[in-house]
This record gives sequence, structure tokens and C-alpha cells, in this order.
Amino acid sequence: MTGAPLVEARTVALSFGPTPALRGVDVAIAPGELLAVMGPSGSGKSTLLHCLAGILVPDSGEIHFAGRRIDNAGENRRSALRREHFGFVFQFGQLVPELTAEENVALPLLLNGVARTEAIGRARDWLDRLDLDGLERRRSGELSGGEAQRVAVARGFVAEPQVLFADEPTGSLDSLTGENVMELLSTAARTHGTTVVLVTHDARVAAYADREIIVRDGRVTTPAWVA
Amino acid sequence: MIRLGLRLAVAGGREAITRLALIAIAVAIGVGLLLTTLASINAVNTQNARYAWLETGYIAAGAPGAASVDPVWWSLRADYFHGDRIGRVDVAATGPNAPVPPGIGALPGPGQFYASPALTTLLRHTPPAQLGDRFPGVQIGTIGPAALPAPNSLIIVIGHTVAELSHQGNAQTVTAISTTVPSSCNGDCVLGVGIDASGITLILSIVAAALLFPVLIFIGGATRLSAARREQRFAAMRLVGATPRQVAVLSTVESSVAAVVGVAVGFALFFAFRPVLAGIPFTGDPFFSDDLSLGLGEALVVALGVPVAAAVAARIALRRVNISPLGVSRQVTPRPPRWWRVIPLLAGVVELGYLAYFSDIGDADRHSSTEQALAYLGGVFLIMIGLVVARPWLTMLGSRIMARRAGRAATLIAGRRLADNPQASFRAVSGLVLAVFVGTCALGVITTIVAANGGTPGDSRGSAGTIVDDFRGHPDVDRSARVPLARLTSIPGVTGVVTLHADRDAGNVPGPPPTVVSCVDLARAPALGHCAPGAETVQIEPVYGGAVIDKSSMADTTWPPANVSTAELQRRPIASIAVGTNGSAAAVEQARTVLEATYPMPFTPMTLSEYKAQNDSEMTSYQQLANVVILTSLPIAGCSLAVSVVGGLAERRRPFSLLRLTGTPLTVLRRVVTFEAAVPLLITAVVSAGAGLLAAHLFVHAQLDETVRPPSITYYGLVVAGLLASLGVIASTLPLLRRLTGPEAARNE
Repeated sequence: MTGAPLVEARTVALSFGPTPALRGVDVAIAPGELLAVMGPSGSGKSTLLHCLAGILVPDSGEIHFAGRRIDNAGENRRSALRREHFGFVFQFGQLVPELTAEENVALPLLLNGVARTEAIGRARDWLDRLDLDGLERRRSGELSGGEAQRVAVARGFVAEPQVLFADEPTGSLDSLTGENVMELLSTAARTHGTTVVLVTHDARVAAYADREIIVRDGRVTTPAWVA
Repeated sequence: MIRLGLRLAVAGGREAITRLALIAIAVAIGVGLLLTTLASINAVNTQNARYAWLETGYIAAGAPGAASVDPVWWSLRADYFHGDRIGRVDVAATGPNAPVPPGIGALPGPGQFYASPALTTLLRHTPPAQLGDRFPGVQIGTIGPAALPAPNSLIIVIGHTVAELSHQGNAQTVTAISTTVPSSCNGDCVLGVGIDASGITLILSIVAAALLFPVLIFIGGATRLSAARREQRFAAMRLVGATPRQVAVLSTVESSVAAVVGVAVGFALFFAFRPVLAGIPFTGDPFFSDDLSLGLGEALVVALGVPVAAAVAARIALRRVNISPLGVSRQVTPRPPRWWRVIPLLAGVVELGYLAYFSDIGDADRHSSTEQALAYLGGVFLIMIGLVVARPWLTMLGSRIMARRAGRAATLIAGRRLADNPQASFRAVSGLVLAVFVGTCALGVITTIVAANGGTPGDSRGSAGTIVDDFRGHPDVDRSARVPLARLTSIPGVTGVVTLHADRDAGNVPGPPPTVVSCVDLARAPALGHCAPGAETVQIEPVYGGAVIDKSSMADTTWPPANVSTAELQRRPIASIAVGTNGSAAAVEQARTVLEATYPMPFTPMTLSEYKAQNDSEMTSYQQLANVVILTSLPIAGCSLAVSVVGGLAERRRPFSLLRLTGTPLTVLRRVVTFEAAVPLLITAVVSAGAGLLAAHLFVHAQLDETVRPPSITYYGLVVAGLLASLGVIASTLPLLRRLTGPEAARNE
């Protein structure tokens, strides 16, 4: 990796009660890099993503974003950071059920104080880019799993975040639809220079990444084929 | 399966306990309100029953007197002090076996009296010239609660000799103390004592409709809390092979456990707050704490009925969602309410509008009161039904506009949710619609009638400071005593004494007999009006405490000259004596005491304000009732909304917690929840109040050719207080938001 990392974890450890989830993890992610975090269920990969995104605060170690330490910031500052600089795509259940597709996509913009007309306009642009034109007025319950996930991807990108955190974004989709979503996600990230942290246990999904790391028992290991 | 249900309900970890606690708390509040409503109805009846002995002499029915009973001379009259009514009973036993009223051990002998605790305190702290001198004798005890309608009742039982009392105008012999409660009187009771049959029926039906119904809706809502979460678990059980019947048993057990706990806490809440509740003057007077009692049947119905109803509601709810192994249906755009829902409301307004502006329904000569009542009630009921039917459509319309124009995330989410399911939000406030409509309409009509009846007490100049001893209609009163001019004018604060004489020339005019007064005298009591320019004497048609002509008060009236000289006037019998004061309570009470001592029995001198209050007492009690209904229904609606807020939160736990993960500030989610609850509450209050005032206006225009007067400041105060209380209840659910949508919620779902 050349240059300063955009997101970095230094010796991060975190336990849930007596159960250690992360045991001294070091990760550095370069600007524009698409990093896949792999590992079996319960290995701590989602916990690592939540720590990097400022959702969870580690018991020890440090998290840095754009050169600034964020793990010691207050909840309000971390919330603002997530709102303004990060985007998120989760496995399922992330769309607000009462809102239409375009309103769901526009939500991060509205939360950042963007005027409604402009927010809806930008949301429609992103829906077009992700081949969702015609579905703007549908509710989450009226979308297929793949469509709902593409709406979530559009929502993740609409505020033009510096980092997109994706936690098993294709976990609830069939393989064909999952590949389609990943194709769109990786293309959008590369086009906009967005850094992506992608948690997955699917090697085909991880193949879209520039680099992979494996989390096992709360520790980061490099894949054997990289060595 | 029942044991599994119990284990799921109480041993399902922190979340299960939290869910159980939430339902139990909501049910407890609902049960507390339900018990309060039932106990209030009982308290009204109990209070009314304690008026029974005051009907003695008026109602024939009573405990049958024994053959050896000695009759008792009995006289009841009302006295006043600082505007509060004092019930005065004068008695004289004719023998040792005379009947004794409740609350005292024996009849007071001549020169003795019993007083209620409140009157005893008053007598102790008031100069005798203002109060004590009216009651001859010494106090030998206090009247017990059995004879007191309210803890603050002012009642006195004074003993006399038979010779003294038998000569007084309205005294009569009785052989039994009445046990007939005013609610059974049907018009033959003492005016103003207790609440008669029609009044109490009205009160109970309004209480039932305005309070009971919303409370039951609230309890129903509480038992459905967390329904969505339960449904997910039940779907999982179906997936592993549980039959629908087994799932139904689990659901029933879980709902019932929370309801049982809630019922127990509800009873505890009721008994803990009973002393405070008793102080609320629901009927105009506070209750004794014990009056707010529950019958065994009522307690059993609530204790058993609520858990059973919760179980039934859970079964019905489960059937409605028809849980399959794959869970309940997903969120899609629901079918919106249609515009036709507004038709009944418009029809009701059109009907009342027609009656007000295009019909002669208000003409009592052409239409019987039954015809009028049917016509008006038809319109009012159409509006009530119309409000209930139209509200979901109106809510949807309002919230769609709100969502369409929303520039902020919170408004957008709240608007969409309300527009999606306006029935759900409406269900929580449906009781409020009727309560605010009925309350506002009643208050609008009452305020207008009271205003048309000569202004509110104190409106007319000096009405509180002008005391009148009116002899008209009491031919048996001894008027030979000279007017105690010197004693009256020597009272500090008395500005003048006016003697009104009978007008023999008036003939048989309808209404109260007119009087004649000298203009020199009249100038000393401006509250009675003024003379036509140049007149020596004028003819007055006194309607104390009411409207004279053209809905104006006496103070605003210029009286026409009378064809009587001042000298001739003095030879005519006295009709009334009016004493003008500077308005000080001490001057008024001292003058009253002097007048009572000079012209004893059977009535008491009253200020114009007291006359007005007496005339308006029925209206005032309905006004009080409407106020109570409005004030109570708003917090109940708030509780229902709070339950629906918590239910909505539990349903959207995951999307909300994910929104928080992505950086959505908690304040935005708080705003969403507040909008979702407050908007239906405020829309309902405004629409119902507006419809109530419109209906009131159309009624008073048709019947009285009046324009509705806006309710008094008290009404607005009560509405604001009720709204603040219900918003407070809603706000109390907001701390849940932080816990329900924390990062762990998103991780563990």
C-alpha cells in the first residue's frame, strides 16, 4: 500500500462480556481501495467492520479515519462522521418500510439537510445508474430481494461517502442476483473513487475486491494464496 | 404448551421481560383508568344518595314511620356565604320518638345546632356578624359523613321549640326522614338538591361514551403491543412444525400473563391514587375517598375480564395476520380510505345548516319539543358518525400533504406512516373525537345560553355586591318589621338600601310581578338599572340573576316611569329590599345576616351573582361535566397513542436501529415518533373542536337566533392542559427509543 491509509485499525481488541470478538487487529485501507474481509461465521468480521465505521468502540487499540483518531470521539461526533463520510449496505431489513424506493435513497441527503427536490433528483439519478428506473415509487415490500439490495446500494452511494461499509451485501440473494449487485457496487465505487470495506464469507463476492483479509477467532490473517 | 408459553413469556431473557413489562404497564394504566371511571360512576350515585335526607318533607316516600313516632317540625332552606350554598335545616321535635336524620345521634334541642365540619371551621374563623348570628344557639356537635354529600358540604341542623318553628312559613311536620335519592325524583324533589333522574342518566351515558370506550380501546391496544415481534417468533415455531392451534395457545398465554400482572398493578394504582381522584369535583363537589368504591361484581369483571379479553384479542389478532411458516405479509402500499367517508359529516353539517338558516324549527309554536329534539339530534349524530367515519380519510389527506411537502427526514417518515395506516392512528384517538366534539358542542351551547341569559356572573356592574331580599311569591312573610335602614347603612361598605314596592297597577302581567321604586333609591344600587330621565318613580320587572329584555342585564336597563308618587309608594307593601355594597365580602355577609334576622324564613337574601349562579346551576353542572370529559379524554388518548408509539417502535426496530448505525441522530427518530403521535392528536382535537363549535353555532342560531359565543378561557386552558398531559405521556415513551434502536439491536436481530 502506498500513501497514508484512509481507514486504519491499530491493535484493536473488543470483547462482548466474557467472549473476545477481536484480539489485537491491525488493518490499513488505502483511499479508493476495495477490501474484502472474509472469515467464517462468528469470526469477528462484522465486529471489525462496526469498529472501523465508528459504530462500536473497541476496548483497546485505536481507529483512525483520514488521519484522525475516531474511537475516542463522542457518540454524536461518530454519528455525524457516519452520516457525512460513510455509506452503509447491510444484508437485509435496511429500507424504511413506509418510504418509497426513491425516498429511501434520498434519506441520507435529507438527514444532511439537502433540500427535498434536490435529494429526490439525486436519488433518481442513482436509481437510474443501478437499473432501477421505473421502481422509484415502490415500497420495500413491493421490490424483489435483488431490487431492494440495489436500492440499498444506491442509498449507500447517494451522499457520495468517502468509505462504503458493506456487511454481507449479497448474503440474502441468489448467486446471479448477488453477482449483479456486486458488479454494480464495485463499478460505482471505482467510478467515484470510493473506498469499500466489504464483509463476506463468499469467495465469489470477495473476488470483486482489490485485496482480501481473513478474520479468524478475532485475529486477522492474510490468505495463503497471497503469501 | 401452556408451560412453554409461560416459559417464553417470563424466561425469554431481557427482551421478553421488557416486552412483558411494557404490556403490563400499559394494561395497568388502562385498568387504573377503567376502575376510576367505574368508581366515579359509583361515587356520583353514592354522593347523590346522601342528598336523600334533604328531600324530607318534599318526597312522601321514606322509611315508614312507626306508629309511636313523634312528628318533627322540619324546614329546609338555602343560605349563602361568599357565594357558597349552605343547607340549613331547622327542626323541632314534638316528642322523644321523633325521627332523626343521618349524621347526628339525636335531634338538637332548642338553642342547639349541629354543623358540618366545613361549616364548623367557617363559623370558627368568621366574625359572628357576618355568619354566626344567622344561626341561633350553640353548637353541640358535628354532622357525620353519612349526611354530607361532599367533605366540604356546608350544612347545619338547628333545633327550635315547636312554638318557634311551627309559625315559620315553610315549616311542616314529618314523621320519617326521606330515603328517596334525587335520581328517583322525576321533578318532585327540592330544586337544586342532588342530580335528578334525567341528569344522572345523561352523566352516565356521556361518561360511558366518552371515557369507557377509549379506555377499553387503550387496554386492547396495550395487549397487542409487540405483536409484530411475537408474530416473527410464532412464524419460526410454525416453521419447525407447531400447529396454528399450538401457536394460538402460546400467544394467548403470553398475552394473559402480561394482562394479569397489569390488572394487579392497575388495582394497586387505583387504590393508591384514590384520595387524589376523590378531590376532583366531577359533579361540582369533591367526593369522600370511600365514595370512589367498586362493587364486587365490577372488581371481578375487571379482574377476570381484562385478561380474558386480552387472550381473546390475541387470538383474533393472530387470526387476522394468519401466520404462515414464512411469517406475516410484507409491507406494501395499503389500500387508502376513500373520499366517500366524508359524506356523513357533510350531510350532518348540511342538515344543521338547513335547520339554522332555512327552516322554522326554532318556532316553538309550530314544532313540538320532541320534533325539535329529533331534528337537532339527527344532525348532531350524523356529524358524530361522520367524524368517526371521515377521520381516517382526513388523516390520510393531511399526512399525504405533510409527506409530499416534507423537507426533513422525520416529517417524511412520519407522514408516510400516517398516510399508510390512518386507521391505526385514528383507533388510538377515536374516543377523543367524540369527547372533544360533545364537550365543545355542549360548552358552546351552554356559554351562549348563559351569555344570552344576562351575561356571566359578575358581568353586570356590582352584581356580586348587591344583595336582594325578595318577598315576592311569599305572601306569608311578616313584612310588618320596619326596614332596618340604620343597621344596614351603618355596615362599613354598604352604599345604599333600595326598597322595591309592589306595583298594584300592573294587573295580571305574565312573569314575575313588577315593582315600583323611587329614582332616588335606585341611584344607590346601579346593578338594578336606572331611571328614565325626569322620572320620579319607575316600574321595574326584576329578574334577579337573569336576562330582562333583549338579553341585557338589569344594570343595562333604563326603566320606564311609573304612575306613582314617592309618597304613595311608601304606602304600598314591600316587594324586595336591595342593599348596594362596595362589593366587599364582609359588607355583603353582614347585610345578609341583618336581613335574615329581620325577616326570618323561609328564604335567604342573595346577591345578584348568587341568583345568577342558582339560575345557571344546571347549565354550570353540565359545563363542569363537559370540562371533566375533555380534560380526561385527552390524557386517555395520549396513553393510547403512547401504546401505539411503542408498538410502532417495536415493529420498526431493525430499520430504525440501522438508520442509527448509519449516523441518523436520535433526535431525528424522536421527531418521527413525536410527529406520528402528536399529529393525529392535534388534528383530532382541532377538527373535533371545530365541528363541535360549528354544530353548536348551527343549533343556537336555529333555536335562539344567536351566534355561538366561544367557550370561556377555562375551556382553552383545559384543552391545552389535556394536550400537554397527553404529549407528556407520549414523551415518556421516547427514552425507549434509545434502548430499542441501539447498535446491539441491529446486531442481534
